[in-house]
Amino acid sequence: MEKITPSKGFKLKLAGMPDTSIIRLPRPATVGVSALDIPHIRPKLLVKEKEAVKTGTPLFHDKRDPDIRYVSPGTGTVKQIRFGPRRSLIEVVIALDSMDDFVEFDPVSPAGLGSLSDQDLIDRLKQGGVWQTLRQLPARDTADSSTAPPLIIVCLNGNDLFSPHPGRVLQDRVKQFEFGLAILRRFSDRIIVAARKSSMNRLGPVSERITHQVADIYPAWDPGAILYHIKTKAEENQAWYIHAEGLIRMARFLETGRYPVETMVTVTKGHDKKPHMITRLGSPVHLLAGNFPAGSMITTGQLNGRKVDPDTHLGFFETTLNILPDAPEDEMFGFLRPGLNKPTVSKTFLSCLVNREVQLDGTLHGEERACINCGYCETICPVDLMPSFIMKALHGDDIEEALQLGLLDCCRCGLCSFTCPSKIELTQILSLGMDTHHKDKQG
Amino acid sequence: MNPIKKIFDLLEHDFSESGNFAKLAPLFDATKTFFFLPSPKTRLGPFIRDHLDLKRYMSVVLLSLMPVLFFGMYNTGFQSGLARGESLDFWSAFLSGAWVVMPIIIVSYAVGFFWEILFAAIRRHPISEGFLVTGMLFPLTLPPTIPLWQVALGISFGVVIGKEIFGGTGRNILNPALTARAFVFFSYPVTMSGNIWVAGADAVDGITGATALAVTADGGTSLTATLADQGFSLPHLFFGLVPGSIGETSALCCLIGAAILILTRIANFRIILGGIAGLILTALLAWLLPGTYGTWADAGPLFHLCAGGFLFGITFMATDPVSAPGTNPGRWIFGFLIGFLTVVLRVANPAFAEGVMLAILFMNVFAPLLDHLIMKQRISKRIPNV
Repeated sequence: MEKITPSKGFKLKLAGMPDTSIIRLPRPATVGVSALDIPHIRPKLLVKEKEAVKTGTPLFHDKRDPDIRYVSPGTGTVKQIRFGPRRSLIEVVIALDSMDDFVEFDPVSPAGLGSLSDQDLIDRLKQGGVWQTLRQLPARDTADSSTAPPLIIVCLNGNDLFSPHPGRVLQDRVKQFEFGLAILRRFSDRIIVAARKSSMNRLGPVSERITHQVADIYPAWDPGAILYHIKTKAEENQAWYIHAEGLIRMARFLETGRYPVETMVTVTKGHDKKPHMITRLGSPVHLLAGNFPAGSMITTGQLNGRKVDPDTHLGFFETTLNILPDAPEDEMFGFLRPGLNKPTVSKTFLSCLVNREVQLDGTLHGEERACINCGYCETICPVDLMPSFIMKALHGDDIEEALQLGLLDCCRCGLCSFTCPSKIELTQILSLGMDTHHKDKQG
Repeated sequence: MNPIKKIFDLLEHDFSESGNFAKLAPLFDATKTFFFLPSPKTRLGPFIRDHLDLKRYMSVVLLSLMPVLFFGMYNTGFQSGLARGESLDFWSAFLSGAWVVMPIIIVSYAVGFFWEILFAAIRRHPISEGFLVTGMLFPLTLPPTIPLWQVALGISFGVVIGKEIFGGTGRNILNPALTARAFVFFSYPVTMSGNIWVAGADAVDGITGATALAVTADGGTSLTATLADQGFSLPHLFFGLVPGSIGETSALCCLIGAAILILTRIANFRIILGGIAGLILTALLAWLLPGTYGTWADAGPLFHLCAGGFLFGITFMATDPVSAPGTNPGRWIFGFLIGFLTVVLRVANPAFAEGVMLAILFMNVFAPLLDHLIMKQRISKRIPNV
C-alpha cells in the first residue's frame, strides 16, 4: 500500500463530522432524478407527465450517447417534469406507489461474468442505468466505452469532507465490492483503490484491497488529485474513476438484475453529529435535511457541490447534504476586529492561533475586487496550479496557455475561490474554461 | 438598530442607480463598507469562504506601517528641535512632528482618493482598498519639508499614470507609491535632495540636513569614522534618530513592520530575505574592492543595510504583490536583484545618493519577465494534460 501525502490543501478543521451510526429513513412520497449533478449531459426526455413507470424505466437519456440512460429509482407515476431557464431539465419527479415493480434483467453471478463478452457487459450496464457511475478524467464526463482506460481509480470516499464513511457504505457489501472490482478488471488491468487515512479503521476485509492511502487533507481523496500524484505519463490523464457507492450499485445491478435503489447519505449541520442515513436514491432534500433554520443554504458539498433547493431531490451522484447557517448582520468595522471567531487559512486573524473545530456560513466575507496577485490560490492548490495565472490566460482567451499551465489537472475542489481575498470566482472561471475546452473537443 | 446603519439605509436610495447621486455610488459604497463589512451570500461554489478579504489584507499592511509612521512623526519633531538647538521632551517632539507630517498624509489621501473615486465612478467599479496603502506609503518616502502642492501633484501622478491608465488596481506594472516618488524626485530635485531633510531647520545657520548616504569622507579618514563624526553611527542609523525621509530612518521600525508582514504572511518573506541577502553580498563584494577608501563602497553591509531607505523599500514597496513576481523563485531573484542594484547605484552612481527607489522600479519592470521564465520552467516539469 502506497501513501499519498500532499503538502497543500484545506487544513481548517470544520465542524460537522457525522456519527457513524446508521438509521433507515421512511419511504419517501416522491423520488426524483435530477439532471443538475450530471456533467455535460444534454438530456432527452423519454417519459411524459402522468405516465406510469417501473423501477428501472429510463426517464431520460444523454443525446450525445442515447445508450446512457437515467432510470427511475421507484415505481409510480411521473408527477412532474421540472424545467429551469430556457427549458433546461431540472428533474423528473415520480410519485411512488406502495410496491416496487422492477424492470427485470437476467442476473449475472460473479462466476458467470466471464461468459459475458465485453460488449455485452457494457450494453447491460448501460441498459440498467449504472454505466455512468464510471467517469472519465479530466472532464469528468461519463466514461467512453469505446476506449480502454489506462487505469481505473476506485475512490472509497465521496466528494465532501463529510461524505459517508466507506466502512459504512461497504458494510455487508464486501461480496459486491469484490464483484465490482472483478467488473472493473474487465476494462483495465490497473485498478487503484484509494481511501482516506481516517477511513482505514473500519474497512474490515476491504482494507486489503486498498492500494493507496491518502492523507486526510481535502481534496487529497478526489480522483483528480489522486491521479495528479500517481501519474507518470501523459496517457494516464484519461483515467476512469468510480466511487464506492457506484461500484456497489453496478455489482448489485448485475447480481440481482434489478436497479438498486438504496443509497447512503450524510447530512452535516453545524456541530450536530447526525447519523448516516439509508434512503432511496433520489430522495427529497427536505426529507433528508429535516428541520433547519430559515435562510440556511443547503449544498451537496460545501466546497465542490451545488446549491440545492429543499423542494427538489438528491442527485444520482450525490451522497452529502451540508446545511450552512444564514449570515449574521453586516458587522461594524468587521475588518478591524481581532477575529478570534473568524476562521481563515491565512494568518491575519487571531483565530489562526487556536486549533478548534470551526463553522463557516455561506457568505463571501467581503466583496469582489481585482486580482492583486497575492498568491494565496497557489499556496492552497492541491495540484500545484497557479489559478490566478490561468484565470488571466482564460480572460485573454488564450486557452493554449491555460492548458499549458495545467488547467486540465484542476480537480475543481474549490479551494482557490475559498481562499481568494479578492473573492474572485476562480473555480467557476477555471471550470468554465475546462468545460468549454471539453465541448470544443467533442465537436 | 445601529444609528450609523440607519443613516446609510436612509441615504442608500440617493446613491442607487435611479438616485440623484448615482455617479457617486462608489464613494457611498466605500464609506458604507468601511463601517459595515459586507458579506453577501455565495452564489457559486465553493459555498463557504475564508474570512480574509482585501480590507483586512490592506489593514494588516497599514498596521505594519504604524511603527514607522509614529516613529517618523517623533523623529521629524526631534530633528527640527535639534536643528533649532532646543531639546524637546518626547511628547512635544512627537506633536510638533505630527504637526508637520499629518498635513502631508492628509493631502496624499485626499488627492489620491479624489482620483480613485473619479476613476471608479467612470469605470463603474467599487473603490479598491489598495489605495489605503499607497496613500500612506507615498508620504512616508518624502522629506518633511516637501511643499504640499508637490505632494498633491506626486500622488496624482502615482495614481493616474502609475495605476489607473494601466486599468486600475491589480494591473499596474510599477508600484504606484514609488512612481509618485520618482515623479517628484526627478521633477523637483531642489526639494528632494540636498539639505532638505529637517523640518524648520532654515532658521539656524550651520545646520546640515544631509542624510547619511550623502556623506563621503575626504582625505585620510574612513567613511565609517566620518559617518560617526556627523552623527550617523551604526546605532543611530539602526534606531533612526537621523535626518531622512519621514518613514525610512529607523531600521528597527522597518524590521518590526517586516516581522508583522511576514508573520501574517501578507508580504512574501522571499522578497525581503532575498533583498537583504542581495544587499549584504553585494556590499561585501564592494567592500573588498581596492581603491574605494572613504566612499560608500567601503561602508560594509551593516551600514548599507541601516542607512537610507533600503529596509523601508524592501519591506513595504518591493513586497507589493501586484508589481512583484507571482512565482516563488521569481520572488527570490527579484528581491536579490533589488539588494544588488541598490548597492550598485549607491556605490557607482554619484548622481543618486539613494538607489533603492530606482532599484525597485527597475525590477518591477522585470517582474513579468522573471515570472515568464519561471513559468516556462514549471510547465516543462509538469506532465502535460492537453
